[in-house]
Amino acid sequence: MRVAQPRLAATGYISLLLILLVVLMSSPWWAGSSAAQMQFDARLMPPSASHWLGTDALGRELWARTLAGLRISFWVGLSAALLGTLIALTLATLATLSTTLDALVSLLIDTLLSVPHLILLLLVAFALGGGTQAVIIAVAVTHWPSLARILRAELFSLRHVPYVAISRALGKSRRFILVHHLLPHVLPQCMVGALLLFPHAILHEAALTFLGVGLDPTQPAIGVLLADAMRYLTGGFWWLGVFPGLGLLLMVLSIDRLAAQLRRAL
Amino acid sequence: MRRIFLLGLAATCIAFSSPALSKEQLILAIGGEPEQGFDPLLGWGQYGSPLFQSTLLTRGRDLTPEAGLATAWTLSADRLTWTLTLRDDARFSDGTPLTAEDVAYTFNAAKQAGGRADLSALNKANVLDNTTVELTLSVPRITFLDQLMTLGIVPNASRTHGYREGYGRQPLGSGPYRLIEWQEGEQLIVERNPYFHGPLPTFERLVFLFTTEASTLSAAHAGQLDLAAVPPALATNLPSHMKRIVMESVDNRGILFPMQPVTGELASSGAPIGNNVTADRAIRQAINLALDRSTLVNVALNGFGRPAFGPADGMPWSLDDEAFASPDSERANAILDAAGWKRRNDGLRYKNDQPARFRLTYPASDTTRQLLAQVSAEMVRPLGIEMQPTSRHWDEIQREALHQDAIVFGFGSHSPQEVYYLFHSQHAGFGFYNSGLYSNATVDSHLEAAQAASGAEDANHHWQAAQWDGNTGYGFRGDASWAWMVNLAHVYAANTCLDLGELGVAPHGHGWPITANLLEWRWTCD
Repeated sequence: MRVAQPRLAATGYISLLLILLVVLMSSPWWAGSSAAQMQFDARLMPPSASHWLGTDALGRELWARTLAGLRISFWVGLSAALLGTLIALTLATLATLSTTLDALVSLLIDTLLSVPHLILLLLVAFALGGGTQAVIIAVAVTHWPSLARILRAELFSLRHVPYVAISRALGKSRRFILVHHLLPHVLPQCMVGALLLFPHAILHEAALTFLGVGLDPTQPAIGVLLADAMRYLTGGFWWLGVFPGLGLLLMVLSIDRLAAQLRRAL
Repeated sequence: MRRIFLLGLAATCIAFSSPALSKEQLILAIGGEPEQGFDPLLGWGQYGSPLFQSTLLTRGRDLTPEAGLATAWTLSADRLTWTLTLRDDARFSDGTPLTAEDVAYTFNAAKQAGGRADLSALNKANVLDNTTVELTLSVPRITFLDQLMTLGIVPNASRTHGYREGYGRQPLGSGPYRLIEWQEGEQLIVERNPYFHGPLPTFERLVFLFTTEASTLSAAHAGQLDLAAVPPALATNLPSHMKRIVMESVDNRGILFPMQPVTGELASSGAPIGNNVTADRAIRQAINLALDRSTLVNVALNGFGRPAFGPADGMPWSLDDEAFASPDSERANAILDAAGWKRRNDGLRYKNDQPARFRLTYPASDTTRQLLAQVSAEMVRPLGIEMQPTSRHWDEIQREALHQDAIVFGFGSHSPQEVYYLFHSQHAGFGFYNSGLYSNATVDSHLEAAQAASGAEDANHHWQAAQWDGNTGYGFRGDASWAWMVNLAHVYAANTCLDLGELGVAPHGHGWPITANLLEWRWTCD
C-alpha cells in the first residue's frame, strides 16, 4: 500500500503533465499566430466569452500568449536542466579519476554553493548579454553543484562494490567500468536530479526575464508577461498577471511533484 | 484689547490667504534624473527649468524672452554683440553676489566644455563692469538667444565655492532651490534658496524620487506622491485622490534611420556603422507613408497626443504641409516596387538578395516607446518590411545600436536649434541627435542660412526650406531621414490639493519641464 500510493500519485502527475504538454506543444497548430495578433480595438479587455483570458495593451489574446510563454519556459527549462545535469555528471565522473581532480571538483562545488545562486545567476546572465542562450547557460552553470555532490558520493561508493572490484581485477579499463557499471547505476539519480532541476530552471528563467536580463521582451515569455502585467496592475488589469502566473504555477508544481514522487519511488 | 483683536484679525487673514503654509514638502516622481548631474555646462537645463541656477533671460508662455538675471539686453546692428545688464541683487545660495564675472565665466567655460549648449558661435564673453557683460559672436546666430534662456549661470572657478570638477553633484546657483542631498538612482532633496532674487517658492522642500514606471504608479496609488509622471498608456486609471494633469508639449517620438549603407566602417565602440536597408530612401519613404499615426496615438498614447510628421509640428519653423490624414499603402508599395524591392514567397521584400529586415531598437525602460515600436512594426509588415522591435538599455543603445539600428527616439524643443542639431551634417555622429549620420549639403546650407538670418521670420523661411524646398529636404518628401510618429501630451497624476498654475508647453521630457512654473505652484487644502 505504501508503495502503491506514490506510484498512483506519480501516475496522476504524469497524466497532468502529459495533458499540459499535449496542449502546449500542439498549440502552434490550433492557436496559429494568436499570441502575436494585435487587435487595436480590443485592448485590455477583461476575460469574457470572446476573449477567454482577456487581452493585453495591444489587444493580443492572453490565453495564446500564456500558452506560448509556457512553451518557451518549458524548452528553456528543459535545456537548462539537461545542461546542468550534464555538467554535474561530467564533474562528478572527473572527481572519481584522481584525488587532485576530486579536490578541485569539491572545491568548485563548495565555492558555488557558498554564493547565493540568484546573485550568481543574475551576474552570469548579464555578462552573457541576456537572451535565450544566456538564460540556459546561466541557469545550468549555477544549478549543477547539489546534483554533482550527490552523484560524486554515489560514484565513490560504487567504486568499492564487489562487481566493480571484480571487473577491475579482470583487467577492465576505467572507461569500461565507468560506461558499463558506474554510469548505468547513477542514471536514475540523474533523471530525478534533472527533473528536480527542471521547475527551478523554469522559475529562474521567468525571474531573470522579469528582471530584464532574460529573454527578449518581444517574446511572449512568462517573465515578460509578468513584467508587463506589473505596469498595468495598479490600473486594475488583474488578468494580465493572474493567468500567466497560474499557468507557471501549474506547470512548475506538476513537474516538481512528479520529481518528488519519483525520488521517493526510487 | 484692541491690539489682541488686530493680531487675531491679521492671523485670520494670513490663515485664509495662505493655505499653502499647511504643506511644506512635496514628493515628486517625475523621472529625468540627469546622468551628468546638475551642471549647466554639460547640458543641465537645456530641456526645462534648471531649478538650482538662474538664466540670463527666461522664456515667456508665448516663447518670447523675458527678463531673468538680465534686466536689459541689446544686440548690435551687425548681430555679433550681445550686451546684457544684470540685476544687482542676485545671489548664489551661499549668500555671495552673482556678478558679470560669473556670467562671463559660465559662457566661456560652456563653450570649452562642449556640452549640450551649442556655443560654437561665441567668440568671447567679456565683463564690462560688475553688472554688464558683453557676448561677442564670430558669426551671427539666430538661436544664440535660446542659450541666454537655457544656460544656467554657475559661480566662476576663482571664487570660494566656485565651479570645479564634480559641480554637477553639488551645484551652487542662484535658482529658487538649493540641493540638500542626492542619492543617485533613488532620490533628490532640495530646499528653498533663501537668497533667491525672485518670489519665494511656496514649498520649503521638494523630494524627487527616481522610480520606475511601475513603482511610480504603485507609490501614487499608495498615496506616497504629490505629483507623478504617468506613461500615457497607463493614464486612464489614476488613484482617486489624484487628478490627471495633461500638459501640451513639443515632445515628439519618431524612428531615426541609419542613413549610410554598410561599408565595414566601425564606430569608436567597435560596433558596425550603417544599414543596407534603411539607407534606401524608398524604404524610409514607404514606412513614413504606411504608418497610421492616429492609431499610434490611440494605442500607444491612449489618445494623449496627436500625430506627428516632423520634429517641431506646429512651431513657426516647421512646415505643416507634410501632414497627411491617412496612411497610403498603395503609394508606399509603388515606391518600393519602383526601387526594386520585390516581394518573395515569405512575404518579405528583397533587393539583390537583401531582405527588407532591420532592427527597430527602443529603450527597455520606456513603455511608450515599446508600444510605438511594436505597433509601428505591425503596420509596416503588410508592405513586406520587417522591423524587428528590439529592447536595449540606454548604454547598449549608445554602444551597439546608435549608427546601425533604426531607433525610436524622442526630441522636441522650444528652439529651432534642435532642428540644426538633428539634421546638420556637422553634428553627424556626435551624441544622439544626428546618430543616423544624415548629410545633405543643400539642407546644411538652408540651416546655415537660417542661423545667419536677420530676424525670426526670415529664419523660419530657411528652417522650413531645410525640411522641403521643392527639390530636397530632411522631411519625408525629401530624404525621409526620420519617420516621425506622435506628439506626446505629458500626463501627470497630481494630488487634488496641488494647484500647478497655468502650465506652458513642455519640451522633451528630460529636465522636469513641468517645474518651469514652479513658483506658481500652490497647496489649496488646509
